Amino acid sequence: MTLSYVPGDSLAHRLDPRSKLLAQAGFAAAAYAYTTPRGLAALTLLAVGCLRLAGGGARDVWTYRFAFPVLALAPLVAGATLGAPWFRPERAATTGLASYRVLLILVVAAGYVRSTPVRESRAALQRTVPGKPGQFLGVGVALVFRFLPLLKRDLLTAREAVRARGGDALPTRERIRLVAVAGVDRAFGRADRLGTALNARCFAWNPTLPRFAFGRADAAALAVGVGLLAAALVTVV
Amino acid sequence: MATNTESVDLVGDEAATNLARAALFAALVGAFAYVTFPNPVSPVSVTLQVLGVFLAGIYLGPVWGGASLVLYLAAGALGAPVFQGGSAGVGQLVGQSAGYLWSYPLAAAAVGAVVHRGATLRDLDSVGVPTLVGAMILGTAIIYALGVAGLALVLSLGPVEAVTVGAVAFLPAEALKIAAAVGIVRSDAIAAA
Repeated sequence: MTLSYVPGDSLAHRLDPRSKLLAQAGFAAAAYAYTTPRGLAALTLLAVGCLRLAGGGARDVWTYRFAFPVLALAPLVAGATLGAPWFRPERAATTGLASYRVLLILVVAAGYVRSTPVRESRAALQRTVPGKPGQFLGVGVALVFRFLPLLKRDLLTAREAVRARGGDALPTRERIRLVAVAGVDRAFGRADRLGTALNARCFAWNPTLPRFAFGRADAAALAVGVGLLAAALVTVV
Repeated sequence: MATNTESVDLVGDEAATNLARAALFAALVGAFAYVTFPNPVSPVSVTLQVLGVFLAGIYLGPVWGGASLVLYLAAGALGAPVFQGGSAGVGQLVGQSAGYLWSYPLAAAAVGAVVHRGATLRDLDSVGVPTLVGAMILGTAIIYALGVAGLALVLSLGPVEAVTVGAVAFLPAEALKIAAAVGIVRSDAIAAA
């Protein structure tokens, strides 16, 4: 299972994507500034609250399982030493807290991904980054969302084809080469057709984007974001 | 009838094709995250994202290759399941894998700059194998240097500990990807480049 947008009517779904992005930035800054047991306990409540407000739960956090081994291993490696006393709990605890704050940041990010459709994310990006760079990012991100499933299927098809022809007996390097050649070839084919189609349809730097409006709930989300950023800044100054 | 075109700022033919290629390569790097191979020398299985970074630099050049990986990061941050194991979100860009991810655009640009000796693309047939391999070794060095540094910062690890967690198990597979990339560039199957 992968993390993706789930349609819904939760509070987080109704927020403006820009205020959600700011709140996330504030949360990350606060997590780095207050990596203490008490600070992280407060942030845990906030993180779980964010995910619940987006209608999410433990299943969404489970999509980050590939990060778990590193997060779990890091405190053990940090605590281990060559020679007596072999294990220093205080070093392990420091890294353990650092690992935990990363997990919290991932929980909040899961809330955003769950509650924000691609169209809104793209428009937020395009409205936040000015000029052509913003347009490039907006169009590009929309295309990545659109083409990712197709290219994934291309690669899986290539893999199955290699396997069906007894490719499992080949060395790994050769199997990687065969699958990647098929992937790159398909990607170029799709890109060139897409480029022609874009030109044919008068692809412009200034398309029409969905309208955004900050609501009352956004004021709260913005206040949380700015508050967290300010709190993080206080520790630096 | 007069046609008003003032308000429409058309994207040029070449830019549109380059943008399409950059976006498709970004999606390909994301799709590579789902393809795993058993690693002959390490228990950690190999995913092909780094191969995608090399190929973006080689086929798109330093400018569009780097731009392509910027798109990859932006799309992943906004929720496309393109990061390791199909995960997504802004959290990945400030979490334990931050160093690796932020290094991808730089590595792609560096690989492209070495292979094409500048910003303009040259024919890949005229690029020697030593140049290709050297470029990818440089790319690998950038990715692991930033990745390990990011790991050390984010998880408050010492340098040796960070290398233990973040590089030792993964580095041997990079040689495999470099060899595969040379094979890909030298194969006749890819006509569009």
